[in-house]
Amino acid sequence: MTRSNQLAGSMGLAAGAATSLPFLVTKYDWDRRPPRSRVAILHADEYSERLERDLMNGLRLFNLDVRGKTVLLKPNLVDFSPAAEINTHPLLVTAAAQCFRQLGAASVTIAEGPGHQRDTELVLRESGFRALLDEQGIPFVDLNRDELAKSKLRANYTGLGHLWLPRTVLQADFVVSMPKVKTHHWSGVTLSMKNMFGVVPGAKYGWPKNILHWRGIESSIVDICATVPVHFVIADGIVAMEGNGPLAGTSLALGKVVLSNDPVAADATCARLMGLAPERIAHIRETAKFLGNAAPELIDQLAHPVTLPEIPFRTVPEFEYLRVR
Amino acid sequence: MASFDGLCRFAYNRFVRHLVPRISLRSALIDRQLPNGGWNYGQASAQADLEPTCLALVALRRDSSPAHARGLQFLLDTQNPNGSWPAFQGDDQEGSGLTPLAVTALASGGIMFPAVERTLEWLLDMKGKESHWLWKWKFRTSDTHVRFDPDKYGWPWMPGTCSWVIPTAFAVIAMKQAFVCCKPGKVALRIRRGTEMLLDRACPEGGWNAGNGVVYGVPMAAHLDATAAALLALHGEKVDPIIRASLEWLEDSFVACSAPWSLAWSLLALDAYDRPIGDLAGRLSRLADPSMIEDSATLATVIIALDCPAQGNPFKVLA
Repeated sequence: MTRSNQLAGSMGLAAGAATSLPFLVTKYDWDRRPPRSRVAILHADEYSERLERDLMNGLRLFNLDVRGKTVLLKPNLVDFSPAAEINTHPLLVTAAAQCFRQLGAASVTIAEGPGHQRDTELVLRESGFRALLDEQGIPFVDLNRDELAKSKLRANYTGLGHLWLPRTVLQADFVVSMPKVKTHHWSGVTLSMKNMFGVVPGAKYGWPKNILHWRGIESSIVDICATVPVHFVIADGIVAMEGNGPLAGTSLALGKVVLSNDPVAADATCARLMGLAPERIAHIRETAKFLGNAAPELIDQLAHPVTLPEIPFRTVPEFEYLRVR
Repeated sequence: MASFDGLCRFAYNRFVRHLVPRISLRSALIDRQLPNGGWNYGQASAQADLEPTCLALVALRRDSSPAHARGLQFLLDTQNPNGSWPAFQGDDQEGSGLTPLAVTALASGGIMFPAVERTLEWLLDMKGKESHWLWKWKFRTSDTHVRFDPDKYGWPWMPGTCSWVIPTAFAVIAMKQAFVCCKPGKVALRIRRGTEMLLDRACPEGGWNAGNGVVYGVPMAAHLDATAAALLALHGEKVDPIIRASLEWLEDSFVACSAPWSLAWSLLALDAYDRPIGDLAGRLSRLADPSMIEDSATLATVIIALDCPAQGNPFKVLA
């Protein structure tokens, strides 16, 4: 082992210990883990019109009953970058909207509150969403500027006690988190649970939602996901991101869409597909104690099995310890 | 006969093509006013928000309609006891990072002291968390992935967080508007720190985003609206290579933009620096259909931008 490897290893251990500190004492109200969770891995090599058919086949594996329900799709729309795939692809999101319409949803709304870019309409236009939304008549709500209601947190790792949250999210019957599968320079990964940062409104908390960083990103993820129920996950891993995500990483073709009725199971599975150890990711480890299942023996694997990549996703040095070698 | 044709064409260009659409924009904005006098971002919400209310008041500042007077009264009535403003009606009372916009809105309505005296005190007290010695030490020694100088601080979005570009830009503008000629020492110091912070957080290729110019050694992309706000705040300061590069970035970048909010802010910044805005105003006019602009803050900013050649630029400040 070289000195630089030793140094990187020690830095990783220190970083791992630091991210675990807020979780030494449990601060959630009750254990709501389902006895078992279901995850389906679909293969998809490209973003195309075929996605809708493949996605519908995948959704049928879950026997979802969304008839008469208001469905909210929460994609990951960060900004627009011509250099890299940083957002959930609009073709996947609109395919999901069409599927839920076919499954009998009373309404399907796409909603997001970008964390850095204040001009949400600009992100929609430049990333190709606006044209598809208008063409298909799908409503979009800017969660940064929605009407807000004060919500008591159902876990309190941040010490915030409550958050102001958008009514569109609180009133939805069925919330679907649609992350882009990416590494993240502050939290290791950004998957279905980190994606829920986007429901925290910029109008109250700013651009970025810096209070969440100061209270701990991992702690904030846990508090938000304990409070805002994620009923289903459709993760875009067709083209994923490794390295210095969420904005400046490198696109990587993973060729997978991950579906799940449990965000913890979805994120643990995505992490495995990335070659990262979910039990080393602080927010997955903590939510696996009370929100969902991360252990493979508690997950019913549908469609394709989990295959580990030959080379794990690259991360920033602080998260090297997440990589399974 | 030819001169009559010319007169008709002039009248059409002057009044029908330009004035009538603006009248409809203003009527749409007035129609969106809530019964309590405030404005919300989205029409589906019944909750008045600070930003659209302030921008609507600036947009209607030359308007003698009761809407403007009711809006001003609403703004004055919703001030927090500590002098700040809540981000929205019913918010907690710690104060929003957009509080300085209320100063601009009141100033544009001819209201300053004593209404904003407590606000200015609040603004003087409010600073980015990185200004504290402990956090300076942290950002200098262990937390060094975002490139910035913690000695150069501005204003946060919320108390207890770091300085960011938008609240700092609006705070600098508000302070320059409140103290046009002589600035007390504390005010001058905060304006200086704020302008230093803005220059420090610029993106390497020009322009600003939320406030992270370089992360993990990677230069980040700028945003049009943040760049415009920072340039407006820096107007009247000594022309710096960063300001020059950012103006060039803005002029190059708005060309590809089709979103009214970013275009309107770009126009206001370029107008302040006496750069040509004809093409930009034309493009913005074509996008300025109130039925297509759901967000009232955007609608108000479009009106302010399109009106600025005739009515002046309310965000243009002197050093």
